[in-house]
Amino acid sequence: MPGEPAKRTRREEYKKSLQTDEQNAALPKKKFYRQRAHANPFSDHSLTYPISPADMDWAGLYPMYAKQETGEAGHADEKEQKQAKAKATSKDVEIADIGCGFGGLLFALAPKFPATLILGMEIRTSVTEYVEEKVRALRVQNASTNGYQNVSCIRANTMKFLPNFFQKSQLSKIFLCFPDPHFKQRKHKARIVSYTLNSEYAYVLRPGGVVYTITDVEDLHVWMREHFEKHPSFERVERGFEDGVGEDGEGMDECVRTMRVETEEGKKVERNKGSKFVACFRRLQDPAWP
Amino acid sequence: MVIPYQCLVARNSPTPNGSDWIIVGASGSRIVIQSHNGAISTWPEQHAQSRDQEDDGAQERPGKRIRLEQPKEQKSNFSSLVLSNDGQYLVGVTGEDKTIRVFQIDRQNHLRQLSERCMSRRPSSITLTSDDSTILCADKFGDVYALPLLPSPDDDKVEQSETPAIEQPEEKEWLPSATALTVHSGRNRKTLEEQLKQKAKGPAKSKEPMRFKHDLLLGHVSMLTDIVCTKVDGRSYIITADRDEHIRISRGQPQAHIIEGFCFGHEAFISRLCLTPSGRLVSGGGDEHLFVWNWQNYYLSEKLSIKHSVWAYLETLPGQSYLGYLSYESFKIAISGIWNLPSSEPNRIGEEIVVACEGIPALFRFFTTGIGLRVSGGTYIPLSGNALDVAVMGILPASSTMVVSIDNIHKPGSTTEAREDKVSRLQIFSQQQDGQWQEDASMEDALKSFADQGLDEQVERASDDGKAVRDMLYNMENLRKRPGAED
Ligand SMILES: C[S@@+](CC[C@H](N)C(=O)[O-])C[C@H]1O[C@@H](n2cnc3c(N)ncnc32)[C@H](O)[C@@H]1O
Repeated sequence: MPGEPAKRTRREEYKKSLQTDEQNAALPKKKFYRQRAHANPFSDHSLTYPISPADMDWAGLYPMYAKQETGEAGHADEKEQKQAKAKATSKDVEIADIGCGFGGLLFALAPKFPATLILGMEIRTSVTEYVEEKVRALRVQNASTNGYQNVSCIRANTMKFLPNFFQKSQLSKIFLCFPDPHFKQRKHKARIVSYTLNSEYAYVLRPGGVVYTITDVEDLHVWMREHFEKHPSFERVERGFEDGVGEDGEGMDECVRTMRVETEEGKKVERNKGSKFVACFRRLQDPAWP
Repeated sequence: MVIPYQCLVARNSPTPNGSDWIIVGASGSRIVIQSHNGAISTWPEQHAQSRDQEDDGAQERPGKRIRLEQPKEQKSNFSSLVLSNDGQYLVGVTGEDKTIRVFQIDRQNHLRQLSERCMSRRPSSITLTSDDSTILCADKFGDVYALPLLPSPDDDKVEQSETPAIEQPEEKEWLPSATALTVHSGRNRKTLEEQLKQKAKGPAKSKEPMRFKHDLLLGHVSMLTDIVCTKVDGRSYIITADRDEHIRISRGQPQAHIIEGFCFGHEAFISRLCLTPSGRLVSGGGDEHLFVWNWQNYYLSEKLSIKHSVWAYLETLPGQSYLGYLSYESFKIAISGIWNLPSSEPNRIGEEIVVACEGIPALFRFFTTGIGLRVSGGTYIPLSGNALDVAVMGILPASSTMVVSIDNIHKPGSTTEAREDKVSRLQIFSQQQDGQWQEDASMEDALKSFADQGLDEQVERASDDGKAVRDMLYNMENLRKRPGAED
């Protein structure tokens, strides 16, 4: 929700100044991008989303990976194909951070998986803009090494439109970090994890792929655990994967480690000395079909 | 005036000397049923009839009889009717009370309500599995439930003792969801405070739980608008459509949690799905075209230009004043029905489908060939009022008969203006040798009293200026998204 006029003007001016200041590539300041904490996942936001995954302009998000055009365009069909190619990338996104917020996890994962395309998805416009600005700035700052070319962010309501973005079995990892708890009972369908939504996560994940969840709200943790464990397409991973062994959790999955400390919310919880609950679920092979 | 039939279904079974058929219509909260031999009855039964029944069945099960013969006044309007494949059962949904009602159709052609199950969300579409064992109910909240058509006493017992974990959110006793250590947004903190206050007062009153067997199969986070199921090469499928342009293909039970794929292409809401006998899927809603899918490969094989056909038809009508100030671009259509017709000569020019649009006094015919992606136009069958529903009967030896429910209370072409002249609530067409549809006077005669039966509108209209009836008849265009909704 836009704030009072003065605030809005300040924000606009700030954003304009960022755009004209290409050389310095200053990182955006969060205070200009704060937004009411909750967006209603059921309402018809004026969202844009691709009609299908094939219609998605991936090259716009990952220009370094844009597919090279080949051949001449002849009649209409080929032209259409050529247009589709112009939007495609040489690789597909494989990691999605759903409800990425200000993107802490994205920027921590990007250097760890330099050859993998990573996408943050966020429903709040202004928060998405912040992450986009940060991606732009980091790409300029790291131009010599081509750093952060593999990370991007888009505004999306994943609860409605996840399959519009990804093909079946496209992803290897999905992160659901500190999702909004939606405490009120009548809002439980607004939670990002439910038995029926888990079918969509299973659809975009390849067998062997993992859904990572973390929260500081124990009830929500129990909720997510129950709903994934009940879903026949998922099994909980081994303990070692989530916790590792010993004090410093040796053998813990690298992404679990990152997710515990690099998300914005994870850091806040750390400062408050709260507890964090981690649960990860592996996508199983679909059973035979008569 | 009698309220038009907002729902119409028919079934026929071929016999050596023609065919046995029944036709069922819902007029507001009332159901009317007629069979080929002319017997006609209504539900709830009118007094004279129920007296008869009382005499008939005086000997058996007095307790049950009383309940059946004094139904509490049922005022909810039917939003859908489905006949079982064996023709013995009728399933109806009444919208306002969110109830699924199963009726048995007895030999005398009377309806006997066997069960009424109140869902926690309003059903938007139901269908029956091909073996008639299971009702699939898609609701406005986006979920699909499976219910046995005929619940066994055991089913219900199980359900009362054990609450399925999936529904815990609504049925579980309330627990405080956060501790003081939890990081909160200001809002969450407020909610938590409210919850603690609430806790002091005792758990919040939750909705009446569904105390009958019902399995949650799948769900969209969007209003579901239609559901169909089918079996191909031994595999069963559930196909669901939503207001957010999705057509989802899932496996059938018991693997309905597995999504096989999506048919992408619609840019406005989808309101109707229709499977053709050869297995093509036709979908339509708020878009300019109907889409024909090779759905097992998620591949769009044909587009049928419905909006163009509707516009072309309206231009032929005298005095359609609203066309004057509407441009083709701003003209919108909303599909309210798609039916496939068992063609007399299948595959000559393709499979025939018939389409109705909200507030349009015509039906539109298309032939789908499913070959190659091309845009094909249709032809129209003009009607005396807006088309509401169609029941198809394959009466032999004539090839096919279409019974069309006509809106007799609104002006043709309008969903709001009242109509002064009197027209029949049904129009009946039979297909001729040359494939054309012609009004069938003999069938019209056969269905004459069926065409007159129904709920008297005077009762309904008095209070709200006809809004309730209007909303019951026309609710598709409302599915369209308004641009500029809040962020
Ligand atoms: C509490 S924040 C957590 C942010 C980040 N993952 C972290 O751990 O720091 C939850 C985020 O999910 C976003 N969100 C909620 N529902 C969403 C939806 N349906 N689609 C996309 N994002 C959503 C919210 O806007 C919010 O930014």
